[in-house]
Amino acid sequence: MKQFLGTISRFIDRRQALVYPAPAIIALFLIVVVPIGYNLYLAFTKWTIGLGDPRFIGVDNFIELFGDERVLNGVKVMVYFSGLSLSIELILGLLIALYFHRQFKGSEIVQAIYIFPFAATPVAVALIWRIMLNPEIGVMNYLLESIGLPGSLWVSSARTVIPALVLVDVWKWTPMITLIVLAGLKSLPHDPYEAARIDGANTLQIFWYITLPLIRPVLIAALMLRSLDNLKEFDIIYTITQGGPGIASETLYLYSYNVGFSFFKAGYGSALMVVVFLIVLVFNVVMNRMRINAQDI
Amino acid sequence: MQKKMTVVLVGVLLCLGLVSPVIAGDIDWMQFKGTEIRFLMNKHPFTSFIEPKVADFERMTGIKVTLEVFPEDQFRNKRMIELNAGGTVDGYMIMPGQAKLHYWKAGWLKPLDAFIADASLTEADWDVKDFFAGPMKGSSIEGKQIGIVINAEASLLSYRRDLFDRFKVKVPETMQELEQAVKFFTGKAVDGIKMVGITLRGKGAAATSQWVDFLYSFGGSWTTAQGKSNLDSPESIAAFKFYGDLLRNYGPQGGTMLHWAESTSIFMEGKAAMIFDANVFKSLYENPKESKVAGKVGYTTIPAGPAGKLPHVSNWSLAISGTSKPDRQKAAWLFVQWATNKENVLGALLAGVPAGRASAWSSAEYKSKDEHPDWTAGSLKSFEIGQPQWNPPVLNVPEIRDITGLVIVDAIEGKDVVQSAKKAAAVMNKKMEL
Repeated sequence: MKQFLGTISRFIDRRQALVYPAPAIIALFLIVVVPIGYNLYLAFTKWTIGLGDPRFIGVDNFIELFGDERVLNGVKVMVYFSGLSLSIELILGLLIALYFHRQFKGSEIVQAIYIFPFAATPVAVALIWRIMLNPEIGVMNYLLESIGLPGSLWVSSARTVIPALVLVDVWKWTPMITLIVLAGLKSLPHDPYEAARIDGANTLQIFWYITLPLIRPVLIAALMLRSLDNLKEFDIIYTITQGGPGIASETLYLYSYNVGFSFFKAGYGSALMVVVFLIVLVFNVVMNRMRINAQDI
Repeated sequence: MQKKMTVVLVGVLLCLGLVSPVIAGDIDWMQFKGTEIRFLMNKHPFTSFIEPKVADFERMTGIKVTLEVFPEDQFRNKRMIELNAGGTVDGYMIMPGQAKLHYWKAGWLKPLDAFIADASLTEADWDVKDFFAGPMKGSSIEGKQIGIVINAEASLLSYRRDLFDRFKVKVPETMQELEQAVKFFTGKAVDGIKMVGITLRGKGAAATSQWVDFLYSFGGSWTTAQGKSNLDSPESIAAFKFYGDLLRNYGPQGGTMLHWAESTSIFMEGKAAMIFDANVFKSLYENPKESKVAGKVGYTTIPAGPAGKLPHVSNWSLAISGTSKPDRQKAAWLFVQWATNKENVLGALLAGVPAGRASAWSSAEYKSKDEHPDWTAGSLKSFEIGQPQWNPPVLNVPEIRDITGLVIVDAIEGKDVVQSAKKAAAVMNKKMEL
């Protein structure tokens, strides 16, 4: 017995790098690798939940996907929504971070209040926005009309639904970008600023030639973090519009959810999910390359 | 002496549990004593009615019943996932028109005919013939009864009786009259509120269950006799167009996002002269705490279209899981039978749940308490003439409803309905699973 324990203890000593992370690796394998692998397998099958077992059909799902108009629509909506919301969040987040970076009286309190939307539960705030954006009984039209502007249909019209959803997303997530950028700003070295001021550079020049290049890796990192969620935005869109009116706000991610869980077609839904995964992956590989390049400067 | 003996004998038998202390007719309600059964329920007025009474059933039978209640969307997901995983569900609520084909093919529905015919399991007084034929047919498949109706639903045209009287407008009997009436009220300022003529569901797939009454009344149908999509027939297109025009021209703003909750709240706010939706929502309109129009509403059947008055009739039923164990299925049957007995169905009707039994509607108790005879008459008429097939006759109902909903949205937005319907028909033919 003693000998046995000794063997084990020697094994652990020699293989520490293997043994200690093992529980974490096994857990991660079970909750990350296995579901992704199963999803990948389902993508090559035809399976309606409840009706028999998944049947292997090769790449048929991916062929069907190319002829499916709602896939194209989903990609378009995704690009429109993410392009608009990410760029506004990045610019606004940066500007607000620059504003908070100057110390002023009560800045900590203002910052704390500013974080609220970011800290709130997405589904809860989306439910409130859904009521506020209602053209008949919502407060947004009441506010517009009280200052003499015409009301909008907001999420009830195919034309305005994406900008209205972007509004909610920007309100909710700009504080996150601000937080990251603010941390980046605080870590910048002081020397280049002093040198620039001695050389007579004005505020705009300092921002353009010093702050922006120095902060770029942080900006790209913030964009990467945000885009991971944004490209597969679900809570806000599902809660407010469920992809409507019609399919005007149905992103590819939402469509794959519908196919899987409303239409019960787990095979085709998984294939759509693989496409979403690839889009997010490619976007992030490109972003990561940009971040590394920015750091080399 | 003999009397004394009988008393003693009955007392002994009672102690042995051989005779049920509840006098409950001709079957042995205690035969599955000790069994535990589990039902998944939708959050629905019927569930609210029956839940507090379950303890009575447990006392009467010695069966332990667990009811798990979820809001509708979660309920449907939960039900499917549990049944697919082969869990311990013994019974559940179902809208047969929505899910029966899928569930039947998956083996999740237990045929109930043998239970109904078995005199040791079913009381003679339960009387299967008392249920309306239409809804009961809706709850059957391939000639087998797979659910017992707990609530029959049809859609009614509900209108502001006070305003129709005040402005001397005729209650619409035909689609033309409906259009004239909505036109009359649209934009009219009534007591400081700018009215719309009518409010309807417009939110894609969710609207199909109301639009279908227009589809049938205009002579359209889901599929042709050959089983192909019929969404692009001239009659079906006319129904899309009429419904879309009605909502766009005479309805509230943002019609394409109206589900029943939004639509009914606009009517209850007093902003619409009419609403076409399920009769079960009377309990909302007439609730003075929630509704500004309580006591001012009249009810009538759908106006007649070119093909006549053809509403749909749908229902919620209680079904028994095909994957449950045989003795538990029998215990579950006792529960279903009890929940749908004459007394409970009448009680539910008095609580506002449109009953699926003729005896409940014709009972003296209901008649004496009925405050809305036009609602009763409209509902009964609709059950009589209603079509039990209200969803596309396919396996993948949600997907085909979704495809159809896109045409409704296009019609409301005033797009080219012919083109949109043709496209939807092509997609439907490709995606339809029979």
